[in-house]
Amino acid sequence: MKRTLILIALMVASCAAANRTLAVLQNHTNAGSLVDTTSPQVTLPGTIYVSQQGAIFVIKGSTVRRLPLPSGGAWIQPRALPDGSLLVVRRFDQYSDLYHVSASGRVLSRMTGDDQSSVNRTLQLDHWILWPAVSPDGTTVFFATDSPKPAPRQSYEVDFSLWSAPLDGPIAVGDNGVSGGTRWSVPDAYTGGDIEPIPLPDGDVLYSSYANSGNGQVQSVLGLQTGPQSRMVSLTTPAQDCGTPAVAGDGATVAMVCTNGGQTADLEVATLEGSTLSAPRVLVANCLCNSPSWSSSGANLLYMDASDPDGNFGLWYVAGATNLHPGSPRRVTDASVDLDATSAAAWIS
Amino acid sequence: MSRSRNFDVRGTPRRRRASLRTGRRRVAGRALVVTGFAVSILTGVLLYFLPAIQVALRDTGQANTSLGGDPQLKPVSASEHLSSTSPFTLLLLGSDSDSKFRGDYLTQSMILTRVDPVTRHVTMLSIPRDLWVRLCNGGNGKIDQAFLHGGAQCAIQTVEKDMRVHIDYYAWIGLQGLVSVLDDLGGINVVANNPVMDDYYPADLSGGSPFAYQRILVLPGAQHMSGTLALQYVRARHDDAYGDFARSQRQQQVLIALRAKTKHLSIADIPNLAASLGSDFQTDMSIGQVSGLLPIAGSVPLASIMQVVLLPPYTSSEYVGGQDALMPNWSLIRPEVARYFPVTA
Repeated sequence: MKRTLILIALMVASCAAANRTLAVLQNHTNAGSLVDTTSPQVTLPGTIYVSQQGAIFVIKGSTVRRLPLPSGGAWIQPRALPDGSLLVVRRFDQYSDLYHVSASGRVLSRMTGDDQSSVNRTLQLDHWILWPAVSPDGTTVFFATDSPKPAPRQSYEVDFSLWSAPLDGPIAVGDNGVSGGTRWSVPDAYTGGDIEPIPLPDGDVLYSSYANSGNGQVQSVLGLQTGPQSRMVSLTTPAQDCGTPAVAGDGATVAMVCTNGGQTADLEVATLEGSTLSAPRVLVANCLCNSPSWSSSGANLLYMDASDPDGNFGLWYVAGATNLHPGSPRRVTDASVDLDATSAAAWIS
Repeated sequence: MSRSRNFDVRGTPRRRRASLRTGRRRVAGRALVVTGFAVSILTGVLLYFLPAIQVALRDTGQANTSLGGDPQLKPVSASEHLSSTSPFTLLLLGSDSDSKFRGDYLTQSMILTRVDPVTRHVTMLSIPRDLWVRLCNGGNGKIDQAFLHGGAQCAIQTVEKDMRVHIDYYAWIGLQGLVSVLDDLGGINVVANNPVMDDYYPADLSGGSPFAYQRILVLPGAQHMSGTLALQYVRARHDDAYGDFARSQRQQQVLIALRAKTKHLSIADIPNLAASLGSDFQTDMSIGQVSGLLPIAGSVPLASIMQVVLLPPYTSSEYVGGQDALMPNWSLIRPEVARYFPVTA
């Protein structure tokens, strides 16, 4: 009897050893994909958070580590809060949730519960929440969500609209809207809607707005609103097809990506004065650029780009991008690293 | 002393013999346990490296024979290489080839393409799947039914007659084939035009019910797309202001992105790709002709690619035969087709 028990225990331990070996090797690979290949040629000050293959990596000087966030889903779109903690989106196949996590990767709170179909069994009532952004005073979070679902509910229409809600509480996204939240925009139907909100110091909100152009295409403009559901002022034209705005520390320089209707894009900067955007300056032309983000305390710009049409998306850097004569773009990560280009880096400098 | 030595060697007392046996058993047991754990750890290592081993085996050519797939490409023939100077037309067809259609496929995508190797100019005309036309069998119907009625030949004849154009070659691909070829090529880089969302996207490739739905979301902007994500991008249509037209534009985008991949392909890659596509790909081009197409596709500049979609007034929506359809305005369409797809000798 005793021998049988020992035999069973050894078999279990043996299986556990095989499983653990596999897990260690797999984990080593995941953590190493960015760690081992970060180029040492550009060492930036501060801490940079990027997303790669569903994990958040922290680049600090010449070292890289992976945040030990819970497994399952893809962790994307990190946003740094003034206290050093992060807002991070955890995306699953059919919904996403917003999480508050510490700088070391510990989950402090799950702020939404968008897996509605686990309760009501109606897949179409799940929700997306993406592009979180915190107001300059640190009290309010802005985001895009596909709620509310227009009547009749569960129709084909599903578009993003912009909302805000207190940062310190749970955010209840329902099929009628965000309980306790403030709705900022009503999207143009069947276009994808309004995304990427950026709350400005004066209370305005800058964002990307997709609309039916009437010429057979859906195009994006940078929109500006002075209050919830106020009239949107278009800062760019539909023909420019601009999106992914990011505002520099000076509160006035806007980085954006414009396709001008083509298959590639330009990374541009322009100056926002009131409700007018100056003529843009092209920082990088004919690129596969996406997701610009500024250093928290300066005029330096990060963005994602694939250096050639078939290349990996890496993290790139432009020093003094608010200046008339900015530095040349430099690749921060090694060419073998393929980052999530739709997920802007968060840079605490 | 010597007796004692002999005694020690040959005449071990029972207790000491038993002790020795126990010791040996203990050592053997421990060795067995250590070996067991070593085997377990090696199993873990083997599982970890299994994909690499599979790739290595495949790369040595063993998979070609073991797959036994019947590549739809014809064998290489030196005499069948594409002319390096003459323009040619290619009808690209795509179908929902999942199990709910049981082999009776419509064409969800139909792109008439003209390639001019000399000027390195490519024109792509997306033919709407709901276009109401005279089919090859003489009846009227949506053009997506042509493939259903008579396969690629009927689709070619229908397009040739209705559009008054000559088609040199065709290539047909199914859903899983598209995913496979894109994944085999390592995915593609695409600038997604807008957030592409669909709460009623068919979940027909996930192994469950082919009639089930899933929610999908493709984020906007430049990004790397896997085969599955690219399929979602070109197939989603429910939350789209321009429905099938927008989908056609996205399909052309993916074809343009694929062109960047052809730079890295050679004739040696074609059989493997064909084997991986299996029955989800058909063409009347030979391997030699496809390989001849690769350098041409890879050298076409982005600015030399013309994309055409038949929006109103070239087409208009009507309810015909109990279904929504697009009526062609031939007086507008045919002159444009003649301009972009001139029939050459």
